[in-house]
Amino acid sequence: MKFLPLVWAGIWRKRGRAILTLLSIVNAFLIFGLLQGLASGIDNVAKESSAAVLMTTSKVSLIEPLPMGHAAQIRNVPGVTAVTPMVIFTGTYRTPTQYVPAIAVNVDEYLAVYPKVKASAAARQAMRETRNGALVGEGIAKSYGWKVGDTVPIKSVLWVNRDGSTTWPLKIVGILPKGASGPGVMVNYDYVDEGRSQAKGTTSFFMLKTVDPKRATQIGAAVDRLFANSPNETRTITARQMAQSQFKQIGDIALVINAIVGAIFFALLFSVGAVMAQSMRERIPELAVLKTLGFTDGGVLGLLLAETLVFCLFCAGIGLGLAEAAFPLVKQSIGFEAAAGPILFAGLGFAVALALISGLPPAVRAMRLQIVDALAGR
Amino acid sequence: MDALVSVKKVVKRYWRGKQAVEVLHNLDLEIPAGQFVALMGPSGSGKTTLLNLIGGLDKPTQGEVIVGGERIDRLSGGQLAKWRSRHVGFVFQFYNLMPTLSAEANVELPLLLTKLSGKQRKANVAAALELVGLTDRRKHKPNELSGGQQQRVAIARAIVADPTLLVCDEPTGDLDRESAEEVLSLLQMLNREQGKTVIMVTHDPKAAEFASRIVHLDKGALVAEPAGVAA
Repeated sequence: MKFLPLVWAGIWRKRGRAILTLLSIVNAFLIFGLLQGLASGIDNVAKESSAAVLMTTSKVSLIEPLPMGHAAQIRNVPGVTAVTPMVIFTGTYRTPTQYVPAIAVNVDEYLAVYPKVKASAAARQAMRETRNGALVGEGIAKSYGWKVGDTVPIKSVLWVNRDGSTTWPLKIVGILPKGASGPGVMVNYDYVDEGRSQAKGTTSFFMLKTVDPKRATQIGAAVDRLFANSPNETRTITARQMAQSQFKQIGDIALVINAIVGAIFFALLFSVGAVMAQSMRERIPELAVLKTLGFTDGGVLGLLLAETLVFCLFCAGIGLGLAEAAFPLVKQSIGFEAAAGPILFAGLGFAVALALISGLPPAVRAMRLQIVDALAGR
Repeated sequence: MDALVSVKKVVKRYWRGKQAVEVLHNLDLEIPAGQFVALMGPSGSGKTTLLNLIGGLDKPTQGEVIVGGERIDRLSGGQLAKWRSRHVGFVFQFYNLMPTLSAEANVELPLLLTKLSGKQRKANVAAALELVGLTDRRKHKPNELSGGQQQRVAIARAIVADPTLLVCDEPTGDLDRESAEEVLSLLQMLNREQGKTVIMVTHDPKAAEFASRIVHLDKGALVAEPAGVAA
């Protein structure tokens, strides 16, 4: 600790250059934090998708509907404990930009499939009693100013109502707490199916709860066997596999992110290395004086490495801190949380590696300085 | 009086490309403890080379350098560094202070290598700065001080660890006459009142007058001293 003032003074020796270098490193770690947070958030979404939950879709394509008659047969497959149809009911509120993510489900079965989604007994009862009832997440309720008892018109982007309009009045019967709200809005399947003018008696897909995640694949295969060679063959996979495959559809995000981060750090390595080398060259007489005063070769090496290390960790701390502060904004724009914890450690690890790789060559040159030559300017 | 510094049959050669240049030739010199010695001679005579050997900054090609009874020419680089930190204080022509550190932080540098506590280091630094008359300038950076003041900070840095030997390479070479006299008086006071052995390289005969002994070098060899000059 007693050497810290010396290390700190060395860092800020050329204030302007140090600030510019600081900004470039902070910027790199901010980008690193945001991108890695994004990748890790995507990974978390896939991980959080339960392996015990199965998704049954049409074998032909994801958009091909399945008959509701499948539900009773699927429920009889050994190991299946709950089945809900799920119809995409996405729409908008007052303006086309007021997006409302919604699904039509059998609410009791849905809550059995997703026990993390918390709805009070009163809210569940209200859903059973209110045909056009809706359970809405706290976040969306807050942003549109909805409260229990309100009837809100939702314009479906997919379904035309019996009256020929796309507007579906929904009565809000419950607000689901933040973090346990599932999709944005949940409505009764029966209300949507009775009201829509096409695809009646069908569902976009089924979600199934199984007794044991380890048996989920076999149970899925058993479901698919039920409908083999029928006009409506199925494909059943775990929700986790589905999440992973959906993210893969937009490309190998991790690879792209790692490539970008790698390129940034590679460039940073050269710029920080060049700054450190220049700083060392400018300080040759000062370093010779330190050696004259009794600092050993190893001591000078350690001092310069400590400078690079403290500087890189300081900048990385600022960059990662800014990234973490920006994570809530990221969630608002992409819909899921970026994960901060592991990124922080990885970032600090990168900072240490950056410091050692860029700081070591000039530090070794400083270590090898001959006092007499350095003092004489040779 | 016992010799603090003994230089015996010292040869120093440097290599310029493939050509060896001998700077010191079989040089013998003894400096008793408590002397203030001025090393004089024309440029290239080997004064600074000799000073570097005595201060443990360089090693002879041949011969022995004994300081305080220790063969410093046999010490490894690391051992020499530790030896310098304990026994020698250095004063340079261009002060060589750390520009980013305050006067007191500069003076504290040699003490960072000791096991003294922060409180003890502060006390020693305060004493050294008081001795050179710069207590009120302790928070100033080198660029906020005059040349003479900077050199006095350098002297405080040289004495703060209480070494037996002060090695000064042209300490007044960059100073005006008035500041030079202040610095030389300070060195003389340290020699007379604190018992420090001072070895000073200088071109300036007026600076040499402050010394108790003047040693002349020419072409890498000592010029015979007039009898009775050594104190």
